[in-house]
Amino acid sequence: MADTLPASWKTYRKPSRRYERYKMKALALNTSGTSIDSDQIKRLLPNNGDEVEFINTSDMKIAHCIGCNQCWLKTPGICAIKDDYETIVKRLVQVRDLWIISDTRFGFLDFKGKRVLDRIMPMLNMYLEFRDGWMRHQLRYHILNVGIIYQGHGDQALLAEWCERASHNLGGRSLGVFAIHNGKEAAPCM
Amino acid sequence: MHVVIINGSPRVKKFSNTDKIIQAFVQGLQEGEATYELYSLSNRGEWDAAREAYLTHDRTIIAVPLYVECVPSLLLEFLESLPTERTHPGELSFILHSGFSEGHQLRMGERFLQSLPAQLGCTFGGCLVHGNSFTIRLSQPKEVESIVKPYIAMGRSFASHGNFLTKEATKFTGPERYPWLLRQLVEKLLKTKVSKRFEIFAQEWGCTRPLDDKPYQES
Repeated sequence: MADTLPASWKTYRKPSRRYERYKMKALALNTSGTSIDSDQIKRLLPNNGDEVEFINTSDMKIAHCIGCNQCWLKTPGICAIKDDYETIVKRLVQVRDLWIISDTRFGFLDFKGKRVLDRIMPMLNMYLEFRDGWMRHQLRYHILNVGIIYQGHGDQALLAEWCERASHNLGGRSLGVFAIHNGKEAAPCM
Repeated sequence: MHVVIINGSPRVKKFSNTDKIIQAFVQGLQEGEATYELYSLSNRGEWDAAREAYLTHDRTIIAVPLYVECVPSLLLEFLESLPTERTHPGELSFILHSGFSEGHQLRMGERFLQSLPAQLGCTFGGCLVHGNSFTIRLSQPKEVESIVKPYIAMGRSFASHGNFLTKEATKFTGPERYPWLLRQLVEKLLKTKVSKRFEIFAQEWGCTRPLDDKPYQES
């Protein structure tokens, strides 16, 4: 993974061994209200998801990002909305891979799936820079790679491009976009 | 012509950049003798009326800021509450804006919006794409006026054509990417003047920590 780190992150500080162990872990946010068999999901993930921590967000209190910018300009890194997402941000600081498990609408993630990405703003800071030829906000902590597992009628090409772009905003790469068909078969689509 | 305008920004109306853009846009609409009604999704109390207006009028514009390469989840929730078929014909147009200036930053969001009307039983009336809106909230009224002023002409254009499927709407985006030399200049400004400006804003907001603070960093 070291070669994927941007220069600014490499020089930030040498990660401790304990920290590197954390980095090997991934977080999966299951935003789907319907039950998706976690074994199906695990089969899609590296090492059968052994190093993935699953959080079911469907019974958590998570509000929409309201774009107040307080996490950038008033209380840097801390969201003004006090709800269950704070737990998620604290976990994101400790992982490198983020999986979003979501239902779909309009060929895209449904609002619950998109909502957990909209709230990720505290992982970036206000400062701007050019990375990969794109103006982007600086990473507050480290890179994050994002992957999508969806069920329903997702537009595979749209989701793949979106995941790629969202990951790059977080300094990472797309982990892939995978469909679960009929709640029975898991099929990799990348 | 009558236009239903839905502000899809989750930010409260008072601080909404989208609302300031809409106010300039409707000035142009009215100059072109069109009428409008406006609903803001940041106020849940307006959702039922917004839905009703969208279903009973033939022309709707959804104005929205770019959130993580697409539209905000709040707007998705509203859209999910709409019927996928309608008895009354409808055309759906969009104003998509972003803090980033270069047009290519908004293309993913535009792509999603292009695919949306057909899934709601509407025709697509085009998407007005424009960046450079981040500082609206942080600027003095005179400066805000100058940032949103170009939208007045787009309002007049919409009143005249009824959609954004025009050459002037396409050109309105501005540069897709900055030329190399300008980019070098912008990069320098980001590291100096722009960063300083953000820090001054933060101080004004009562911020007591560095902007690149890491509150959850392990020790």
